[in-house]
Amino acid sequence: MSAAAVSVSASGLTHRYGRRATGVEELEFSFEGPGVVAVTGANGSGKSTLLRIVAGVLRASQGDVRLQIQGRDVPRGLRRTRVGLATPELAFYEEFTGRENLEFAAQTHGLDAPRAAAANALSRVGLESRGGDRVAAYSSGMKQRLRLAFALLHSPPVLLLDEPGSHLDDEGRAAVREVVRAERARGLVLIATNDPQEVQLAERSLELVARGLGDPA
Amino acid sequence: MPNGASSSWPAVWAILRKECRSEWRTRYGLNAALLFAVTSLTAVTFAAGPLPDRTDLLSALLWITLLFAALSSMSHAFVRETESRTLLMLRLVASPTQIALGKLLFNLLFLGVVLAVTVPLFLLLTAAPPVRWGPFALVLGLGSVALAASSTLVGAVIAQSRSRGALFAGVSLPLLLPVLAAGVSGTRAQWDGLPVGADARLLGAYAVALFGASLLLYDHLWED
Amino acid sequence: MIWRWGIFLWIAATMTASLLWAPLVPVLGETTRVLYFHIPAAWVTVLALGWSMIHSALYLWKRDLHHDDHAAAAAELGLVFCIAATVSGSLWAKSMWGSYWNWDPRETSIFFILLLYGAYLALRGSIEGDERRARLSAVYSIAAFVAVPPLIFVVPRIYATLHPDPIINASGKVDMNPAIRTGFLCMLVGFTFLYAWLQVLRVRVSRLERRLAI
Repeated sequence: MSAAAVSVSASGLTHRYGRRATGVEELEFSFEGPGVVAVTGANGSGKSTLLRIVAGVLRASQGDVRLQIQGRDVPRGLRRTRVGLATPELAFYEEFTGRENLEFAAQTHGLDAPRAAAANALSRVGLESRGGDRVAAYSSGMKQRLRLAFALLHSPPVLLLDEPGSHLDDEGRAAVREVVRAERARGLVLIATNDPQEVQLAERSLELVARGLGDPA
Repeated sequence: MPNGASSSWPAVWAILRKECRSEWRTRYGLNAALLFAVTSLTAVTFAAGPLPDRTDLLSALLWITLLFAALSSMSHAFVRETESRTLLMLRLVASPTQIALGKLLFNLLFLGVVLAVTVPLFLLLTAAPPVRWGPFALVLGLGSVALAASSTLVGAVIAQSRSRGALFAGVSLPLLLPVLAAGVSGTRAQWDGLPVGADARLLGAYAVALFGASLLLYDHLWED
Repeated sequence: MIWRWGIFLWIAATMTASLLWAPLVPVLGETTRVLYFHIPAAWVTVLALGWSMIHSALYLWKRDLHHDDHAAAAAELGLVFCIAATVSGSLWAKSMWGSYWNWDPRETSIFFILLLYGAYLALRGSIEGDERRARLSAVYSIAAFVAVPPLIFVVPRIYATLHPDPIINASGKVDMNPAIRTGFLCMLVGFTFLYAWLQVLRVRVSRLERRLAI
C-alpha cells in the first residue's frame, strides 16, 4: 500500500464550549504525512476537541481544519471517510456483537468486502476470539480495542487516536504500538496523550497550552 | 476506501437493517408503543361506546388515537441513540442525510406495525361501518408518511435537548395539525361515500413538502 | 428616546382620534373599536413570524449569532402580540356572536400560530449552548415554515366544512369608511413601528447578555 500524501493544517482555529469555557484557542499547525504526531497538553487543554474537529464531527466556532489528500481538499462532510477516529466517547451497540458492530460500520461505509474488513480489523487488535460476544459483555479494555478496530476498518489515511492506551493491559498496548507502526508508513497518525510511552511513538509533537476547560482562570 | 455521498442507498439500507435488528433484539420500543396504542384505544372506545353512525366522531377518534400512538413511539428512534451514546459511531460511518433517511424508513415501518394492530381493533371496538378499503388505506398511508417525516426530523432535534419526552408531542403538534385535519376529513369522506381526492392531495403534497424541507435540513442536525 | 416618545404619541393620537371621531361600522356597531387593536396585533404576529423565519434561514447560512438573536426576539415579541390578538379576537367574538371561541377560520389560524410560537420557544428553552440552540431552533423554524401555509389557508377551511359554524362571520367583509380606514392604517403603521422598536431593543439585550457572560 503506497503512502498517501496527507496533510492536516489549521490557522486561527478556535472552539468555545458555552460562553466561558474554551476548547482550543487560536490554534495554528501544519503536519504532513506519513508519520506520527503526538498531541500533548494538560487535561482540558483541547486535545479531544481538536481530534473531533479534524474528524469533522465537531464544527469549530471559528476557523477550520484543512485536510488534504494528494493535494485535494477533503470537505468537512466527507472527512469521516478519510479519517479513523478512536476516542473514549465512542460507544457501540451493546445488543450486537463486536463483529456485528464492525460489519455494520463497514457496510455503511460502503466497503466492498465488509465481512473481510471487519474480521481483519478484529485480528489486528487481538479481538478475533471475542468477536462473537455481545459488546455488553466486553470489559473496558476490550471496548477500547474495539474502538481501535473501528478506526482501522476503512483503511483511512489519517488515524486519530485519543488516549489509545487507556484501559489496556501490556498485550493491548503492544497491539496499539503495532498498529501505529504499520499505519505510520501509510499515512498520518495523531495521538492525543500524556502517556510518555505513547508520546515516544511519535517523531513530532504539538503541545496545546490554550486556556482549556480545565483552567478556571 | 469508502464511498462518499455517491452511493447513499447501501448506507441507508444498512442503517434500516440495523434499526430493525436492534429493535428485534431489545424489543422494548415496539412493546411499549403497542401497549400504549392499545391502552389509549381502549380508553377512547370504551368512553365513546359503539358509534355505528357517527362518522364524524369515528374519524376524529381514530386519528387522535393514531396521533397519540405515533407521538409516544416515534421519538424512540433517536432518543435511543442518544441514551446509548452511539450517535458518534453513526456519524463517523454515514452522512447525516443517510442516517436520517434510515431512521425515517424505520419509523415508517414501525408506524405501519402499530397501525396494523390499532386500526382493525378500532374498527371492531367502535362497531364502525364498513370501510372503503382503497380510499381508507390511501388516506392512512399518506398521513403516515407525513407523520413519519415530521417525527424523524423533530425526533432528531429533540434528542439533543434536555426535556425530551414532554417536549416531543408539543413541538410536533403544529407540524402535524394539517395531517390531522386532512386525515379526519378524508377518513370521514370515505365513510360518507364522498371522494377523498382533495384530502389525499393535501396529505400527499404536505408529506412531500415536509420531506423535501427535511432533506435540506438534515445536514444541520449534528455538528457537535 | 425620540423613537419611544414618537411611537407613543402616534399610537395615542391615532387611538384617541379613532375612538372619538371615526364613525362606527354598521354591522359591527360598538365593537368596531376592536379592529383598531385586534387586526394590527394580528398583522404584527404574522410579520414577526416571517421575520423570525427569515433570520432562522440566515443563521443556517451565515452562522452569525446575530441572526439567531433576531429570530428569538421576533418569536418572543410575536408571541406577545399573538396572545393580544387572540384574546382581543375572542372578546370581540363574545360580544358579536355570543361565544368566546367558535373555531371559525380566522380564530383557528391565529391559534395555530400561537401553538407554533409556543413550540418554538419551548424548544429553545430546552437546549443548552448558544450555537446548538440557534442551529436546532432554526431547523425547526424552517420545517414549521412548510406547515404555515396549510395551517393558515387550508386547514381552517377543512375545519369549517367539518364543523360549519352556525354564526355567520362578517368581520372580513368590512366596507371601510375613509375615516375608519385612515385610523386603521395609522394604527397599523403605529403597531409596526412599535414592534420594530421592541425588536431592536430585545436584540440589543441579547447581545449584551452574551458579552457580559464571556
